[in-house]
Amino acid sequence: MASQTHLNLSPAELAYLHASLSLTPPIRPDGRSPTQYRPLSAETGILPGTNGSARICFADGTEAIVGVKAEVEKTRARWDDETIFLEGQEGDEGAEEDKEKEQGGNREWVELTVEIPGQRDDDSGTIFLAQMLSEALLADGAFVERLKINRGWHWKLYLDILLISPPLSYPLPLLSLTTHLALLSTRLPRLKSEGDEDPFFDDDWAAAPHLYPKDRKARPPVTLLVMAVGNNIIFDPAKEELAVADVALAVSVGDSAERTGKTAEDEDMEVDGRKLRLLSIRTVDPPSRLTPPGVPNATNSAYGHAVAGPQQQKMPEARAVESEAVEGVWKAPRGGAKLAVMGALVQKVLERGGVADEVLDALEAVDLS
Amino acid sequence: MPITIHQPKPPRPLLSDLDPYNPLNVHDSDSDSSTGGGVDLSLPPKKPTSSLSHSGIVTPGEVITSDSQWMRGHGTYIPASTSDITSSLAGTITRTNKLISVRPLRARYTPEVGDLVVGRIVEVQAKRWRVDVGSTQLAALPLSAINLPGGILRKRTETDELQIRTFFAEGDLLVAEVQQLFQDGGAVLHTRSLKYGKLRNGVFVAVSGMGGGAGVVRSRRQVWTMDAANGAGQVDVILGVNGYVWISKHVETPAEVEGKPAPAGITNMEENVSATMYSSQNDRIETETMREIARLRGVITALVENGLRVDEEMVVRGYHEAVEMAMLSGEGQDDVYLGGERGEQLAAALTGK
Amino acid sequence: MPLDTSTYNLALLRVDGRRWNELRRINAQIRTQAAADGSSYLEMGHTKVMCVVTGPSEPGPRRGGVVGSAGGAGGGGGQSKDAEVVVNIVIAGFSSVDRKRRGRGDKRTLEMQSTVANALAASLHIHLFPHSQINVSLHVLSQDGSLLAALINAATLACVDAGIPMTDYVAACTAGSTSTYAANDESADPLLDMNHQEEQELPGLTVATMGDSDRVVALVCESRVQISRLEGMLVVGVDGCKQVREILDRVVREKGRRMIDEGTVEKGTGLNDMDVD
Repeated sequence: MASQTHLNLSPAELAYLHASLSLTPPIRPDGRSPTQYRPLSAETGILPGTNGSARICFADGTEAIVGVKAEVEKTRARWDDETIFLEGQEGDEGAEEDKEKEQGGNREWVELTVEIPGQRDDDSGTIFLAQMLSEALLADGAFVERLKINRGWHWKLYLDILLISPPLSYPLPLLSLTTHLALLSTRLPRLKSEGDEDPFFDDDWAAAPHLYPKDRKARPPVTLLVMAVGNNIIFDPAKEELAVADVALAVSVGDSAERTGKTAEDEDMEVDGRKLRLLSIRTVDPPSRLTPPGVPNATNSAYGHAVAGPQQQKMPEARAVESEAVEGVWKAPRGGAKLAVMGALVQKVLERGGVADEVLDALEAVDLS
Repeated sequence: MPITIHQPKPPRPLLSDLDPYNPLNVHDSDSDSSTGGGVDLSLPPKKPTSSLSHSGIVTPGEVITSDSQWMRGHGTYIPASTSDITSSLAGTITRTNKLISVRPLRARYTPEVGDLVVGRIVEVQAKRWRVDVGSTQLAALPLSAINLPGGILRKRTETDELQIRTFFAEGDLLVAEVQQLFQDGGAVLHTRSLKYGKLRNGVFVAVSGMGGGAGVVRSRRQVWTMDAANGAGQVDVILGVNGYVWISKHVETPAEVEGKPAPAGITNMEENVSATMYSSQNDRIETETMREIARLRGVITALVENGLRVDEEMVVRGYHEAVEMAMLSGEGQDDVYLGGERGEQLAAALTGK
Repeated sequence: MPLDTSTYNLALLRVDGRRWNELRRINAQIRTQAAADGSSYLEMGHTKVMCVVTGPSEPGPRRGGVVGSAGGAGGGGGQSKDAEVVVNIVIAGFSSVDRKRRGRGDKRTLEMQSTVANALAASLHIHLFPHSQINVSLHVLSQDGSLLAALINAATLACVDAGIPMTDYVAACTAGSTSTYAANDESADPLLDMNHQEEQELPGLTVATMGDSDRVVALVCESRVQISRLEGMLVVGVDGCKQVREILDRVVREKGRRMIDEGTVEKGTGLNDMDVD
């Protein structure tokens, strides 16, 4: 099943894929419905030496492991210690720019690395992946808030994301789902100290609370890979599907239930369902733009009965020339996506009972050991 | 439900502590009898050289026979200063007359002369193409081994060499036959037949090839045309022996269209066919046909994922089973998804378990 | 925290309760990964590694960049007569007790890569695959001593799974000595299969042998030890390798048997019918 040459598809294949994905409803090569994810198997708590860990395998064999480790770190003294105070006590009172500074400090509390076999760790693709995943975590500051122990101390969280298998398809959905699960299973030792004294912890691991308590609604963010072909919106694209995408987006979604869940009024809201919040959107450059175009029969010198002769010979360069769209001939997408498509794309992710909702439900159902 | 998450399958628990096949769990089995003094060689008895008696597995380093009447084939070697035929693979023993070879449990495709393969162009050189056929090496397709356009079997010219990319370019898929093998195991392909050439109007799927285990097996027919359900017309399936599979809409040759054999013999027919030989333009394909092609692809992936062999019989049976399954399911005929549990269902129906 | 070795002489038991010649529990699986040519998972005690093998395959024209800096053996370049064994080790940041991130350029990792590559190249029949490359990618998930040995064993299993012909299994384990170099204890006993604690304090070596034979294909000793003790350690280590080989062999056989039972692989010819003709 492993083949390094999956990347370059022939123009005829691309044309076929594009045609079948543009139908309504689209026909995906593996028969999935547009919003359907590849079936996967997941387990958590696989590495006893970590604070949290998870492993996910897709049916095609791609596999990822994520381990989370936490260390206690002294919160660096700031030039204006007020900021932290304000942040913790008064919330909105803190001026907008103070908030900015606070976030800058908090960002360092999470360190996230991605390892892809066969790729250097300073490879731009790997860095981009790591960036997208950490961006989702840090976007609204709700995550780093959980790492605070007291005014002087915080948890420093290390997330190591390993792709075990060679990357058969764009690994973003896999890595994001695995990270989500690992964070769900993450537990931090129970704090025994009080107030702002130097923290000390309960040795009993069984008593350690989860970073994301089960009885609360809040969940770590999840990043979905969504692409569009024509007006069709397709989730979790496989590699060959991504190769004909007009546009591909990485959409990060968080559940903001807890932040607003302070008052009784909001408690009622939570019962209805989660409150999905859009955390970030990134466009992913689909490989389709770099694919060579197909040659229509009309300009193909190897087509028909053309007897070799320099005068009648159609120039081979003709394939490079931008030609009118001919049915059945692959032509790489040019230009941006339609606003309506982008809107529909985000809408599809966020709507109640939509894909993000169901993905979060499914992940929640995974047995946390 | 857009997402299904399973518990990992029990046969392969990642961090299970139970390993019934490991009697050397010395750490647990508190063998008090062996005191710290003497050398405790709890080694199992020396591996039997008489493993010939059972038809089970041989593993690397295992002596198959020391009888010099046998010849060693693939997957075996003879260590220096002995005459023992020794296995170099984990697999099963096969023999052809006096030749003993070991068929691996799983390996990459090893080309053999006459194999029908589906390949993808990886590199274009001055007078030949380099083709990925899923083997340990890239195969070569010389410019001299293809049918040149223009109908008649003509001589290759310099112009052809200059235009080599108009025949096949990087990424193009083709079906070809292994013509000969180099000393080092590399394959040379040819497409000098009307059956061979560039592929279009369909989808590609790579499964494991002839190496053993589940996947495409060499059989009577690697290529066939079958009637698809739901008014989708006819579909061609090409099972490359190397595990690369092409499923496409059946395009009738001009001779078939006219409903009579080609009038003026082979030359004329070739002329008609060669018109589309190097085309990369797809014909118009009906939605129904696309759907059934996707269903067939699902059947093949499901066969492989569930460890079943892939040949004409299994694919055709699997396809009919899948059509029936779709009819019975609530989703109706339009649902062609065969991943996950449905694939298992399909495999169960096929094996009768 | 210094390792307390004083009690050893009383009960002849090591810190984790083993005797001097006992291996830790070895648990292994092959074919953990459907997408790769070969794969394995191996635990030696709490040391846990995963291995994925790709190839042998011919690298396409896009050379360089695909393979990171890695220890190569068996000849360089794609045009050589032998296949090239490229080993890539990723030590996960969470694998040790204190999180430590090692970059790809880490010297120790590079050295382990070339040791594993050389050990494998000694056994694999790389002459059968000219111009090709065998990519071995190892992931360390948890470390508790004998890391190099675990890596070699996992790589061997994955190569067997990938169906790459080899002379014999390359099996590895570690051996140590019951007292430190400084103690200069003449009566020190050798130890088999060291865990992390023992590795920190006591002298030790890693040895890999070719299957059942006494042929040593890799020997690494990074600590000071009296030469008089070395021989005893080596004997115990080589003996341990043979035990490890049996365990690996059992894993492969079990997988093969299961595949035959499931019908994915045809049964072999019973060779005792050979005498018929």
